Amino acid sequence: MDMKRDYYEDVQLMSSPVVIFWFTALIGVLYFFPLFVGSYYVYVANYIAINIIVVTGLNLLVGYTGQISLGHAGFFAIGAYGTVILMAKAGFPFLLALPCAAMVAAGFGFLLGLPALRLEGPYLAIATLGFGLTITQIIGRIELFGGRDGLHAPDITIGSWVLDTDKEFYYLLITLTILLLFFMRNLIKTKVGRAFIAIRDADIAAQTMGVNILYYKTLAFAVSAFYAGIAGGLYAFVLKFIEPEIFTLLMSIMFLAMVVVGGLGSMLGSIAGATLLCWLDLKLRNILDIPYIGDWLENLSKHWFSITGVSNIQYIVFGSIMVAIVLFEPLGLYGIWIRTKKYWRTWPF
Amino acid sequence: MKKGLMLVLLVFLTFLLSFAPNLFAEEGVTDTQIHLGQWGPQTGPAAAWGNVARGTGDYFKWINDNGGINGRKIVYHMFDDGYNPAKTKAGVKELQEGTGMFAWACGVGTSPGLAVRDYLAERNIPWVGPAAGSMHWVNPPQKNLFAVYPLYMGEAKALVKYAIEKMGKKRIAIAYLNDEYGKNGLRGALAELKAHGMEAVEQVSMEAKDSDLKPHVMKLRKSKADMVLMWTTVGHSARIVGISKAMQFAPQFMSTSTTSDFPLMMNITKGLWEGVITATLGELPGSGYPLLDKYKKEVFDKYAAKEERWGVFYYAGIIFTEPMIEGLKRAGRNLTRESFIAAMESIKGFKGIGPEVNFKPYDKNDMYSRQGASQTFLVQCLANGRAKQLTEWMDIK
Repeated sequence: MDMKRDYYEDVQLMSSPVVIFWFTALIGVLYFFPLFVGSYYVYVANYIAINIIVVTGLNLLVGYTGQISLGHAGFFAIGAYGTVILMAKAGFPFLLALPCAAMVAAGFGFLLGLPALRLEGPYLAIATLGFGLTITQIIGRIELFGGRDGLHAPDITIGSWVLDTDKEFYYLLITLTILLLFFMRNLIKTKVGRAFIAIRDADIAAQTMGVNILYYKTLAFAVSAFYAGIAGGLYAFVLKFIEPEIFTLLMSIMFLAMVVVGGLGSMLGSIAGATLLCWLDLKLRNILDIPYIGDWLENLSKHWFSITGVSNIQYIVFGSIMVAIVLFEPLGLYGIWIRTKKYWRTWPF
Repeated sequence: MKKGLMLVLLVFLTFLLSFAPNLFAEEGVTDTQIHLGQWGPQTGPAAAWGNVARGTGDYFKWINDNGGINGRKIVYHMFDDGYNPAKTKAGVKELQEGTGMFAWACGVGTSPGLAVRDYLAERNIPWVGPAAGSMHWVNPPQKNLFAVYPLYMGEAKALVKYAIEKMGKKRIAIAYLNDEYGKNGLRGALAELKAHGMEAVEQVSMEAKDSDLKPHVMKLRKSKADMVLMWTTVGHSARIVGISKAMQFAPQFMSTSTTSDFPLMMNITKGLWEGVITATLGELPGSGYPLLDKYKKEVFDKYAAKEERWGVFYYAGIIFTEPMIEGLKRAGRNLTRESFIAAMESIKGFKGIGPEVNFKPYDKNDMYSRQGASQTFLVQCLANGRAKQLTEWMDIK
């Protein structure tokens, strides 16, 4: 059903007027969303949007280019620290500090891309893991970065607009998220995107056909790190405070889990994966409030999984959902979406 | 017509009055309940501190079973944030905007607390007893935030003072964690040394993730220190003592109140913690302090899970919330956030199982208007894991 019949159909950003209509409607809903919900849900939306940005960037690297990274929390940290320091110490306005910090992250991404030319699979995973862990150690030892004490994010002002609530920040964040998703969609459709995919499918064949591996592999790392840097810069203002211990290995693993659960090599998958896992991470503890089932799960947890009598069942449920998705639908949530579309295609006939 | 109108008005008034207590009540307070929240890491890197929130929960159960507070029972909402500030903020906002908390108690960790500090302050939602001795809570002071944990700086001063004046130590070295917690200890120690016209013979910093501490201990040994003050994690302190023993380096070790759970420390160090002097957060188990024994019997024995341990972290959850309960009692039946804050400000010389607590009317230039506890006393670990009290409670401002 997703068969493309000519070149122009393959490179167009929106496949039909129906898609354009639904996309426009979705944008409208997103912009009106804060008017109908409380500040908590706006915060959750901000949290999800930031994860969508970083996961979209990571999916470019993992899903489209076939590389791996367990160090994206490091790029995320560079973006967060870079933005806050450029604003607080160098007096940059937010809209300048954010891309500058992301460019620094992209620079580190480029450097990390160099060993990726000779490494792959688990070896590359270890190299990137080392990067992610080292960056937070270095940041923690530099006084300019606040050391282990951390840094407070200053208020954001754009002209006369002071963004001091989650709702105000939401409008900026959602605009940036949409722009970045558009940019990524466009990139994938260009010759650069096709070069990434060619490297993923068979790098030697790609090189034989004239794809410059050195250039495109490092570019994939740099673009992916740029996205993580932007997301990190925004994250600092969601929390209003950053310290090195926030950017842990677990964070990098969660980013990768979002890519895999959402669907490798799919932008829709990035959005779905980040949304689902963030939502579960924040909300799954409420599973204990469900009548009967909640009590049963709590007793199960207290009896078998917790030595202190406090339920931790939500993590077991969380892990089980991830395993089930990957086990039954290797293409992740995107695969489920494709199958659902196929199933309903001929409806109501 | 007139009669009809009056009837409608009467019904409307009756309807309004029937809702009166709720219409005018404070958020998180009903006729019969007070909703209080707390975050605490039950999973993740700081799960060892999870028993603070559990201790508070059991204490609140005991309060409820003994009649509650001014005719109201506490409804306690504790959630696991896994020591992840993004989840702390999400959980606090969800409970605050969903259920509506009257106030927040404790909350382990500096960065999780900082993620919600401004949110609570902007709404003037009371927060009592953050479970970290950070300067962030009181510098500058905030109207809604009442700190109970004694400042690390003061603890360090008390230990150094004791080492110099009572033990005659001349060569003092400091091993500290390179974070806000460690640096506060370092600042306090250096200030006290300066007051005695002395300097530290060595200052060794370490990162939380450092696992090989031999080079650090080597530096301490080279300095020929006769007292080493440790302002590090529980694990680091245990390792420093162990490596020192192996290197036949035997100064007097002193440490922060976070390592004053002697049975735990003796267990971790396999008995090497004997002789170490620490500051304390509260009265000691087995000291015969009547209120502590009462809590052990009526709170811990009755409500705690069977694997729970009666240790400092558990009853720290009681120490940090005792002043909050006192404030709720003093605020009376007409409980609002303003009346509660006024009641908290009226607390003077309050003594539970922790240090004496004193608050003052809010003064933005006086951090002690919101730093309630400024006392500690020093104890030494004995061979059986019990504590020998070395001093009385002393002021550590």
